[in-house]
Amino acid sequence: MLDHLILGLTAALHLKQFLFMIAGTVIGLWVGVLPGLGGPVAMAILIPFTFSMDPLSALLMLASISVGAAFGGSITSILLNIPGEASSAATAYDGYPMAQQGKAKVAMGLSAGASLAAAIVGVMILMFASGPVAKAALAFSPAEYFALAILGLTVVSVAALGSTVKGLAMGALGLAMSLIGIDSILGAERYTFGFVYLLDGISFVPVMVGLFAITELISMILEGGTIAKAGKLEGSLWDGFRDTFRYPFTLIQSTAVGAFLGMIPGIGATAANFLAYSVAQRSSKHPERFGKGAPEGIIAPEASNNSCIPTSLIPALTLGIPGGATSAILLVAVTLQGLRPGPMLFTSNPELIWGFFMGLLIGAVMATILYLIMIPWFALITIVRIELMAPMLLIVTLFGAYANERNMMDVFVAIFFGLFGYFLRRHGYPLISLVIGLILGKLAEGSFHQALMISDHDYSVFFLRPLSASIFALCLVLVLWPGVKKRLGHGGAEVT
Amino acid sequence: MSIDARVRAYWREEFSLIALLLLFFIAIVAFGYSLPFDARLFPLIIGCAGIVLTLAVALDQVRRHRAGNAEVVVDGNDPAARAGWPRYATALLSAPAFGLLFWLFGFIIASFVAMLLIPTLMGYANRRRLLVTAVITVAVLAIIAPYLLNVELPQGVVGDWLIDKLALRAG
Repeated sequence: MLDHLILGLTAALHLKQFLFMIAGTVIGLWVGVLPGLGGPVAMAILIPFTFSMDPLSALLMLASISVGAAFGGSITSILLNIPGEASSAATAYDGYPMAQQGKAKVAMGLSAGASLAAAIVGVMILMFASGPVAKAALAFSPAEYFALAILGLTVVSVAALGSTVKGLAMGALGLAMSLIGIDSILGAERYTFGFVYLLDGISFVPVMVGLFAITELISMILEGGTIAKAGKLEGSLWDGFRDTFRYPFTLIQSTAVGAFLGMIPGIGATAANFLAYSVAQRSSKHPERFGKGAPEGIIAPEASNNSCIPTSLIPALTLGIPGGATSAILLVAVTLQGLRPGPMLFTSNPELIWGFFMGLLIGAVMATILYLIMIPWFALITIVRIELMAPMLLIVTLFGAYANERNMMDVFVAIFFGLFGYFLRRHGYPLISLVIGLILGKLAEGSFHQALMISDHDYSVFFLRPLSASIFALCLVLVLWPGVKKRLGHGGAEVT
Repeated sequence: MSIDARVRAYWREEFSLIALLLLFFIAIVAFGYSLPFDARLFPLIIGCAGIVLTLAVALDQVRRHRAGNAEVVVDGNDPAARAGWPRYATALLSAPAFGLLFWLFGFIIASFVAMLLIPTLMGYANRRRLLVTAVITVAVLAIIAPYLLNVELPQGVVGDWLIDKLALRAG
C-alpha cells in the first residue's frame, strides 16, 4: 500500500499535472457558480481537448473540474439563493439566510471547511476500498458483468427524477445506439446503412457534448437576462472555516451519508445533499434552527456532496459501471485514452490509478485554497449577460465536438443530440440513462455473448449462478418496488 | 400562448417523441433480422425491450392525457412557455445554423457571425461591446486551436472551393 501511495504521489506531483489540476479546479469553480452549467457540462465540453493529453493529466483535469464545481456550486447557493449545482441546492436552505444576516463569508468558510474534510475522507475511502473491490471483481464471470451492467442501468433509471419507465426506455435507447457499427463478435456491420462514419459506432464525445452542453445552452438562450445580481460579502471566511470543526458529529455523519450513497450507482450527489441535510436536521438538538442560518445546515449538505464524488468513482473504476454523469464522462475519458476501465486497470496501470487518487487528494486541498482566495471573483460571472455568454459557449462546445476527431459529422451529431436531448429532457426523459446505456452497451453485449459461449448457449447461466441471479433479482425489486410501495400506501390510506 | 394551446403543444411533442422512439426500436428489430444469429441476438433483445418500454410509456401518457389535467403538464416556470417565438427560434436554431455555417464557411466566419447575430436576435443592444467581445473571442480561439491544441481550423466547403478556384492553395 505504501509503495502505491509513493508511486501515486510521484506521478501526481509533476508540475504538468499540477497545472492541469489548477486549470481544472478554476474551471470547475467558475462553472459551479453558474446555475445549470455544472461540472458534467464543463467536463463534456472539455473532454475532446483531453485526447491529446497523457491519461493522468486528462483524468486529473476532468476530476478537478468536478471537485471544483462541487465547491463552486455553494457560492451562489449562499450568496444568491440560486444553487450553482443541483448538488448544492440544500446548502441554500441555511446558507442564504446566513448571508441575509450579513454572515455570507462565515457561511462560505463553513462550506469550504466541510467540503475539504469530506473530500479528503471520500478520497481515502476511494483509495482503500477500490483495491479490494477490484480484486473481488476479478472473480466475476461474464454473467455477473452482464447482470451488473443491467443493474447499473436499472438503478440509474429508477433513481432519476420522473418516470421509471421513461428512464428504462432511455437506457434501452442508449443500449440500442451502442449496437450501431461493427459487431464485436462476428465483425458484421450493423445499422450503418453504408455510412463510413457509423462503422466505428456512435462516438461518445459528440453525444455527451450534445446531451449535456447544447441542451443546457438552449435553455440558457430561452431564459436570457443575467444569471443573477452580484451578492454582498461580509464577515470572516476563517471564522466559518474554523466553526466547521465545532460540529464534528454533523461533519462525520454527513460525510458518511455522502460516501455511502456515492458508492451506489445512480444515487448521486444531489440526493446525498438533501438526505444529509434531512438526517442532520432530525439528529440535531436544535432542529428549529434549520432553515434560519444554522451552521449544521451548511456543513451537512456540503460534506455529503463532496464525499459522494470520490466514492462514486469506485464502481466506475473497478467495474466499469458509471454511477452518474461525472463518472460516466471520466469513463469516456479513460476509454478515449485507449485504456479499459475495470479491475485490470489497477494491475496494468498502478501509476495512473494511484497518481489519480493522490491527485484527487491534492486537488481537494487546492480547490479549498483557490475557493477561499477567489470567492469575490466568482460571483462576478453571475452578472455576465447570457446574450454574450451563450454564443461563446456554443462556439467552444461545437469546436470541441469537431476537435475530437477533426470530423464535421461529429458537429452535426452533437447538434442532433442537443436538440433531441432538449425535447427529451423537457418531457421528463432522464438523459443520464441514455448516456449510461450507450457507455454500458459494449460491456453488456460482450459479457452476454461470453457468458453464452462459456455455457454452450445455455441461457440459464444468468439465473443459475447465485451472484448473477441475486443481481437480476435486485433489478426486479428495484423496478417493481415503486409500484408495490404505491399500492401498499394506497391500501393503507383506504384502511385509515 | 394560452394554456389550452400549451397543453396541446405539450401532448403533440410528447406523442411525437414516443412515435420516434417506437420507430427507432422497430427499426432496430426489423433491420436486425438480416444479420447473422450472433450479431442479431442482442439487438433483437434490446429492440424488443425498447418496444415494450416505449409502449408502456405511451400507455402511461395516454392515461395522463385522458385525465386532462392541464396543471400536470404545463409548468409555469418553463422558459420555453414564457419565451416569444423569436427567442424560441433563436434557441432551437442557433446550433444548427452555426453547424451549417461552420460546414460551409469554416470556423472563423461561422463563429464571428454567431457572436454577432445570436446576441442581436436575443435583444442585446450594446453594439460596441458586442463587436469587441466577438473579435476577442474569435481571435483567441483562432490562436488557441492551431497553436495550443494542434487543431487546424477548417475553412468550410465554400472556403475550400474558393481557395482552389482562386488558386490560393499552395501546391
